Order: sequence, then structure tokens, then C-alpha cells
Amino acid sequence: MKKLAIPLALCTLGLILTALSFFGSKAGSADDIDITIDKTSFIMPAAHRVYSNPDALDGKYYLFKAKITNNSSETLEDVTVKYRIPNYIDWTELTVSGEMFPGQTLVVPCYPKFNNDITEKTTESVEKTEIEISWDGAEEDDIIEEDFTFKLTNRNEYVYTGIKSEEISSYADIYDNDALIACFVTPNDPVVKYYAQNLQEKVLKGEAAGISRNEKDAVRFLMGIYEATRLSHMVYSSTKGVPKSTDDVASLVQQVRLPREVITGNTGLCIELSTLYASVLSTAGIDPIIFFVPGHAYPGFRMNGQYYAIEATGINGEGLGGIASAEDAFKTGQKQLQEFMKFAQMGDPRYTFVDIHGVNALGVTSMDLKDNDFMRKKVDDIVASWSGGGPQIVPNNNNGGNNIITPDRPLRTGNALSFSIPAGWQTMMRPAPQMPILTAQVVAPDQMTTVSIYDIPTNNMQQAMNTLNQYFMSFGMEMQYQSNGNSLAGQTYSANGNFNWIGKALRRQGGIRIVAVGSPDYMYNQNSGIINQVYNSIR
Amino acid sequence: MKTLTTIIVASTMLFSITINAQLQQKIEMRIDSIGNAKLKITSTMNAQQWQVWNSNYGNNPSALKRDIERNMPAYFLDDFKLEKDDMNRSFNLSLNAYGACEINKRGKWVVDTDQKNAQLTELAENKYMLVSSPPEYGGNLQQTFIIELPNDAKNIKTDNNAFGKTVFEFDMDPPSSGFNLMRWAGILLIVVGGGWLGKDMIKK
Repeated sequence: MKKLAIPLALCTLGLILTALSFFGSKAGSADDIDITIDKTSFIMPAAHRVYSNPDALDGKYYLFKAKITNNSSETLEDVTVKYRIPNYIDWTELTVSGEMFPGQTLVVPCYPKFNNDITEKTTESVEKTEIEISWDGAEEDDIIEEDFTFKLTNRNEYVYTGIKSEEISSYADIYDNDALIACFVTPNDPVVKYYAQNLQEKVLKGEAAGISRNEKDAVRFLMGIYEATRLSHMVYSSTKGVPKSTDDVASLVQQVRLPREVITGNTGLCIELSTLYASVLSTAGIDPIIFFVPGHAYPGFRMNGQYYAIEATGINGEGLGGIASAEDAFKTGQKQLQEFMKFAQMGDPRYTFVDIHGVNALGVTSMDLKDNDFMRKKVDDIVASWSGGGPQIVPNNNNGGNNIITPDRPLRTGNALSFSIPAGWQTMMRPAPQMPILTAQVVAPDQMTTVSIYDIPTNNMQQAMNTLNQYFMSFGMEMQYQSNGNSLAGQTYSANGNFNWIGKALRRQGGIRIVAVGSPDYMYNQNSGIINQVYNSIR
Repeated sequence: MKTLTTIIVASTMLFSITINAQLQQKIEMRIDSIGNAKLKITSTMNAQQWQVWNSNYGNNPSALKRDIERNMPAYFLDDFKLEKDDMNRSFNLSLNAYGACEINKRGKWVVDTDQKNAQLTELAENKYMLVSSPPEYGGNLQQTFIIELPNDAKNIKTDNNAFGKTVFEFDMDPPSSGFNLMRWAGILLIVVGGGWLGKDMIKK
């Protein structure tokens, strides 16, 4: 019997091991599923349509991708992967794999579809993504739950790169998100469309560059945009650009005002002016290009295989020095373009451009923006500064904004130009005896907005302005102006500061009458509503 | 989202800009019994192409790996191996792509070619050839794909997916379970113990 003990023990042990081999491997438990998640660090609301499109830029911009491997010995049925972003996206099914064999790997990329109202997000936040993986027959304990956090920027933030810090090796890597600047080009924004339509009508008095495909027409359009920004006294100004980082990614994050904000704020940085130009050009059917050079960006277009550019920041602003004419801005842009081509052909990675319609075709499309009545009114104000015959400003009785007061009495100082004086303004006839050409002056209660009426005994507009300037110079002041038909816009410089104004001139018996309304430069934007109102009332 | 047939375009990106001579590539894609793909890319270049390729990728294989990974964001890739033959101006690159094909809701395995109306040539029962010239490279790149489906693939047919792109569909049984040490050790012990027991019983 003793002899049989050992073989019996071996048999018993063998039976136990064989049995255990069946019971020991529980089919499809959470422990047998291996998951690797590769996540993004930043999501830009401006690019929400790119993130939602698996075909955009070959699917480069995903929220996460999961690698799921079935390490169990059983086939899993109907493997389902779903995710959610609390407060933004409800539970959404990403994929259902009919079967998942032992050893099989499933790769699931996630392209999140945010609601359009994400473009109204004005603050940055850290959000959580929750992922759930389940399959047929999985018990409650077996359902796999994973989560991770990411930074959801505000709608104006533009993150220069999404490449992990440890992988950055070149200049191009630091600006890897260049194509996404096209998301900030918003030709379909109703406010931008309205601005572009006014520009085509009031500044260009008609144009057909998008149809004729004539380069001269397109250059005229490009210069027209510049002229519109210059006439409205748009100024160059900086915005916040700060380095930000997550665990993996460190990038410069730039606040980019949207084209509608550049128009209504009447100010922009180089990249913002570039997106404004690109939006307006695109609206008119011209192919916009944004050129990037070290530390700067400028807009242009491509037509019939040729590139053209303009230095949009030539508008500068009184505080920054000289304001270039449209011709000079175009010349500067073309000069910069020549330099750009030279360096780009040499392979310098710092000289790149984004073909807006080109990247649009690759799925990089602009954000959705709703129409905005207040912004349209602001556009009306700006349009009024371009030329005479601008749209009539509807009296605005609300108490916010520029606090426009309804005109109540006309001032008629002769048979030529007259205008309506807002309530409470003080009128002074012949206020400066040493300046006989100054017929009258009307001053706002806060003394910050002034209407001046000049009668100059000459029949030539140019001479009239020269005479006016001579008077100014005798008082230590200097004037610069631009004219468009009978409309005028200019600045007067003096030791007390700069004065911005717009006005109209008309021949009258015995000379030329000029009516100009303006404010000190630091108050001009704030008072632009009432200035435009007075300007539009000039008859 | 690009599929595997465009995977290697990344490694030749710079040619389209600098060199007009057409570049030929051969890409073999072998899919295993659990849907992963092993890719082998071979290319021979002229002197100028070789110089440019070397300066960008050949002398910096990690840049090649990184660019391929960036251009294939929907995949998990690993096991990159690059072999260069400087004398003949050619290279061999191999890599693994996980989850290159998957089982749809109807239980069919699906491989997407990413090409509309792909002109496929059947080389063998489970082997196909596809010649492609990506339009974005202006005819400067010609790629010959050899797609080898698993040996166990049955009922192979080509179809168009919802986007009109050609896909392979086939059936395949689950692979047999892997080697289970505990089970085989148990069986071995039963056999040895049983043999020993039988021998002793016969002796008695």
C-alpha cells in the first residue's frame, strides 16, 4: 500500500492543478483587461469643431485614445466604451466591438462633440473625463472606470503647442498648433459679415475681387480693410500671453480677441488684426493667408498663384507713433513678404504661413458665434467714422454703453452745414477772437467732446485745411488729416495731448465750412457713440 | 482619421517639397490572428533623396518614430526597428500597430484601406496588392501595399463602408487559448502518477 501512496499523491496533485487551472482564471474580470490612456492636456473651445472631427488634420486633435487589451482566456462580447465630461458632455458611446478575442487589442480614439455654447466660455477651468468600459455579462465589479483631468481654456485662449515638453526639439514643435489659428478666423460670424458688407459698400464703394479674380481688385480690397481700420482709429494694442503648463505640456497661451471683438473694441494685436483681415477676405471670397515670422504675424491673400501681404499694424495709434497710409502699409507688407519667401525657401522653420481656406478643407473650421445686436450697433458707430453717408444711428435710449443722448435742437450757423446739438451742450459763438475762422464751438457738459465750426475763405479744400493748420501751428498745435469726399478724419497734436476728430466739409458762398467733432484720444473710444451721433446729424 | 495605409507617408514628407523624382515605397502589412498589424516598409532612393532623408530621419530615427506616431494619432504603435543600407541607399522600417482591425457589431473582422474604390489585386487567397499615389504628394510618391490577412481568415470579401471607402471583411475563429502551465503540469502529474500506479498494480 505504501508503494501506491506516491503515485496516488501525484495523481491527486495533478487533478487539483488541472481543476485549479479551470477555476483559477475567471473569464473577463476587470483584472484581465489592460488599459492604456493617452490624453490631451488642453482643449481650446475655439477649436471645438476640430476636436469633434476624426478627419480634421488626420485626427490629430483627440481628447484621448484608449488601448484596451483582453488578457483573459475568454472572448468578450459586445465590448462597449463610453465617456462623459460632467457639465459638458453626457455619457456618450464611443464604440461597440462585437467580440474581443483573448489577447486582442482595441484602440479607441475619442473626438468629443461639445455644444456650440462652449464658445461662450470666458474662463479657464480644469475638467474631468470619465471613461467606462463594459461588456456582455460583466458584473458590477468588473465594469472598468477610468478618469483623467485636462485644462479647458477660455474661448479666446490659443495654445501654441500640444506636444509634450520632453518631445519638443524644434521651433516648429513650439508652434505645432499653427493651423488652429484658422478657428479664430470667423467669416461666418454675423457681426463680421455685417462689418464686411459695410466695408464693401462704404469704403470700397463696391468691389468684385472674389469674382473677377483680378489681383489688382484684391489688393484694393486688402487696402480697403486697412483704410477702414485706420479711419475708425483702430489702434494696435497687446493682450496677455503667458506660459502655462500641465503635467506633460508646457506652452505659451495667448489671449486672442475674436475678429468681432477687434472690430467693436477698435483695437488689435498683430495676430488679431490678421484674423480680422482673414475673416473679411474670406467673406469676400478671397483666399486669406496669415504669415508667421519670428515674433510677428501679418495678413495677406493668394490669388492666381501669387501672394500679397499688408502690414496691418501700420495703424499703430497716436500713442505709438506714426500712422501709415494704406499704400505704405501695403508696401511694407510686400517687402516683408519678399523677406518671408527668401527665408522660407532657405528652409527656415520660423517662416511659415497658414492658408486659411486650405486648412478649412482639412477640417479646421471656425467656431460658431451668434448674432449680437449690441455689436452690430457698435459696427454702425464705426462705419459712421468711415465716410459721409454712413448708416443712420438709431437713437439708443438704453443707459449702458456709450450713453447716447437723443439730439434735441439743431444748430444752424449759416446756409451750409448744420448739425443737431445734444441736450445740455453749451454753444459758444466766436469763442477765440484770435482765430477768426472758428465760427462756433459746442462743448459737451463734461468738456470732453467738442464740435467746432470753421469758415475758411477759400474755394480749395486743400488750402482750407492748410489755413486751418497754420492757425493751429501758431498756437503750438499740429494737425494731420485724411479726406474721403467731403468727409474728414484727423488728429490734432498739442502740448496738452492729442485730439481725435471726424468731420465734414462743404463749399459755401465765400469759402468752405468745416464741422468737426472729436475728443481727446484717451476718451475717443468711450465717447465714440455721441461723436458718431453728432457726425451723422451733420447736414 | 487615417488608416494604416497612409502610415508611412510621414516618413517621406519632406520629399514632396524638395525633390521632384518619384519615390517608390513597398509596404507590407501582415495582420495577425488577433487583429494587430506588423508593418514593414522598404524604400530605395536616389542620391539626392537619400541625402535629404538621412538629414531629416535617417540620422535621427527617434524623429522618424515621433513623426509617424504624430501622423497616426488613432493608433498605438511600438517596436520600431530601422535598418539602413547606406551602400544601396535603402532602408527597412518595421513596426507594430495595435488594433489595426477590429470586429464589428455583426461579428465580422474589418480592415479599412482608406481608399475609395481601391484597385486591389489578389495575389493569394489572403494576400492583396494595392498601388497608391497620394495626391498630396503630387505624384512624387508611389506606394505599393501588400496586405496579408491572417491565415485563419475565411469568407474574405471587399466592400465599401459608409464613407465609400474600400474595406476588407472576413470571418475568423478565436485563437486557441494559450499555453496553460498549471493545466499541463496537472495533466503531466496525472499521467506520471497513473503510469506509476499502473506499473505497481501490474507488478503486484
